[in-house]
Amino acid sequence: MDIIEKLKILSDAAKYDVSCSSSGSNRKNTNNGIGNASASGICHSFTPDGRCISLLKVLLTNYCVYDCSYCINRISNDIPRAVFTPEELAELTINFYKRNYIEGLFLSSAVINNPNHTMELLTKCVKLLRKVYKFNGYIHLKAIPGADEYLIKEAGLYADRMSVNIELPSSNSLKLLAPQKKKENILKPMGLIKNSIIETKDSLKFIKSTPQFVPGGQSTQLIVGATPENDLKIIKLTEGLYKKYSLKRVYFSAYVPVVQNNPKLPLISHPPLLREHRLYQADWLLRFYGFKASELLKEDNPNFDTNYDPKTSWALNNIHIFPIEVNKASYEMLLRVPGIGVRSALRIVAARKVAFLTYDNLKKLGVVMKRAQYFITCKGKYSGDTTFDLTNIKQRLTPSIRELMKINESQYEQLSFFSGLPDLYKPNDILSKINGEL
Amino acid sequence: MIAFIHDGSFEGFLTSIYEAYYNPKKPEEIFSEFSYEGELFYEPINIVTKEEKHEKVYKAIKEKIGTQAMYNIYYCFLCGDKYSHSLAYKYVKLGFKIGKDIDLHLHNPVVLSVINCVQKVQREKHRMLGFVRFKDVTRDLLYASIEPDHNILSLLANHFSQRLPKERWIIHDLKRNIAIIHKDGEWVLCNLCGGQEPINNSKDEDIYEKLWKQYFVSTTIKERTNSRLQKHHMPKRYWKHLLETESTPPFK
Repeated sequence: MDIIEKLKILSDAAKYDVSCSSSGSNRKNTNNGIGNASASGICHSFTPDGRCISLLKVLLTNYCVYDCSYCINRISNDIPRAVFTPEELAELTINFYKRNYIEGLFLSSAVINNPNHTMELLTKCVKLLRKVYKFNGYIHLKAIPGADEYLIKEAGLYADRMSVNIELPSSNSLKLLAPQKKKENILKPMGLIKNSIIETKDSLKFIKSTPQFVPGGQSTQLIVGATPENDLKIIKLTEGLYKKYSLKRVYFSAYVPVVQNNPKLPLISHPPLLREHRLYQADWLLRFYGFKASELLKEDNPNFDTNYDPKTSWALNNIHIFPIEVNKASYEMLLRVPGIGVRSALRIVAARKVAFLTYDNLKKLGVVMKRAQYFITCKGKYSGDTTFDLTNIKQRLTPSIRELMKINESQYEQLSFFSGLPDLYKPNDILSKINGEL
Repeated sequence: MIAFIHDGSFEGFLTSIYEAYYNPKKPEEIFSEFSYEGELFYEPINIVTKEEKHEKVYKAIKEKIGTQAMYNIYYCFLCGDKYSHSLAYKYVKLGFKIGKDIDLHLHNPVVLSVINCVQKVQREKHRMLGFVRFKDVTRDLLYASIEPDHNILSLLANHFSQRLPKERWIIHDLKRNIAIIHKDGEWVLCNLCGGQEPINNSKDEDIYEKLWKQYFVSTTIKERTNSRLQKHHMPKRYWKHLLETESTPPFK
């Protein structure tokens, strides 16, 4: 099989692992090496589905011994299979890197023979890149659940980021769709990586020559829409993961129906993009806006609203604390106003040191006045274009049917009485998903 | 109305600021000689770059307004907009009046415009770090051509020289006909003579270009097609020098 065919198969198989970041590590180049890592990450290209390409994302092999129902690479599926040699992989990575196509390598694998063997092969590949090819760019390596401790510890010495995909948000779903995988086997390497990162950081304070261990931290992925968990469960799990394992990111991947005719999997025609989008918005709120999961969703309201983003939803449910005075409120309170993002809040706090801010000033500073106007006062003057009343504000903020229908050019659907509501969302939401500003 | 025309370098710009203070004729605008097109209402005065003049201005700005302001002025200078040099001049005047707190005055339209301009240049520089595509010419030289909106070429040099210290490479800004040439760990920024065409026009692909195009196609999830999002992140004006987008269907 030639290299183009191998690349086609093994990058096609890896694309459902949505983690794409190349940030978090400032690995420096060595004297006779090639490459370095950029702490903020660099996006080199964008695919027609809008996602960024910053790494060469491939499986080492898609020969798998497991039979997980949702996965395209499961052993019972009849698809072309391939495997890279470590040299082929290294040559690909180095040459793509030289031409500035990528920041580095994202290496995952299906489980060939058993977890230990797979982990050994993965480690062999990245070791070759680092030691022989003297590559100092970004490497994101998957840890295979069930592999031995010492193998994961060795692999971490060469990688900038490691991750273990949890995929299914509850142990019941795991038992149903991937019965060969055990929950403890998935969580154990995450705990191990977290502890090793802490140990290395401590050790570096005293011994400067301690080798780096996963300087970019860890991340994980949850599949949304393949199993019946509600948003509350998923977001609480996310919050718990950040706390317990000090993850850098939790990624959400809308379930893409690649598998037909399986009664265990939902029969949907489109991936639940709006749901995934709301979860990402909530994820930003947890990490940058000081929210807790219990503030965003409750048992009697366990799913995110289709009409409003989670911050606006929260503001409407807590309308009694608004309107707040923009010239006096604390930074934390400003962040909670719909339409004021982190950048705008910082600008407001800076600018009001020297002047009082008015409605026009705020608009120029980058505040989304379309939403924020209902929740703030400027120098005592209420800035909304209607009276401060919950029903009126809700009506103003609800998107019109025409706006909701404008998803993207390829997904117009003929609604019938028998179809459930299709996934719809405002084009403006797309931007907030990327820069996190709500 | 008087306009100062300088030679296009940052030193020339700073000399214009010096002249604007000490010359009895105060300018309305400051232009670079490359962007000045002989407009009807301006009386042009050419400024000759003098070292002691621009050194004085540089020191004064750093002392009185601060290093962050110097950074803002430089980035504003690099901006591709014709009136950005005049904007930077207004910012300098304001800076000498207000002092180190100038960047807090975001309600002032001049300060806000400068901050926005700086952000535009920073954004383009960051994007360019990703969008530069080298072509392996003669197996020993990597050549890339770009057409940025703003003059960010000098900002890219350190990044690539740290990444590819052992390679020989050239990044060519086609719009301004300048290039960075790197060899043996050192780089130099220079003007190129000749037209605005990329130096290497050969259409033969090497195997890695084929592989990259294949990778781009196979890594796309077709069920999630969203060309608007793609175009938002990667504006079409950059697609000319990216090889992978040849396979993407045109945006309707």
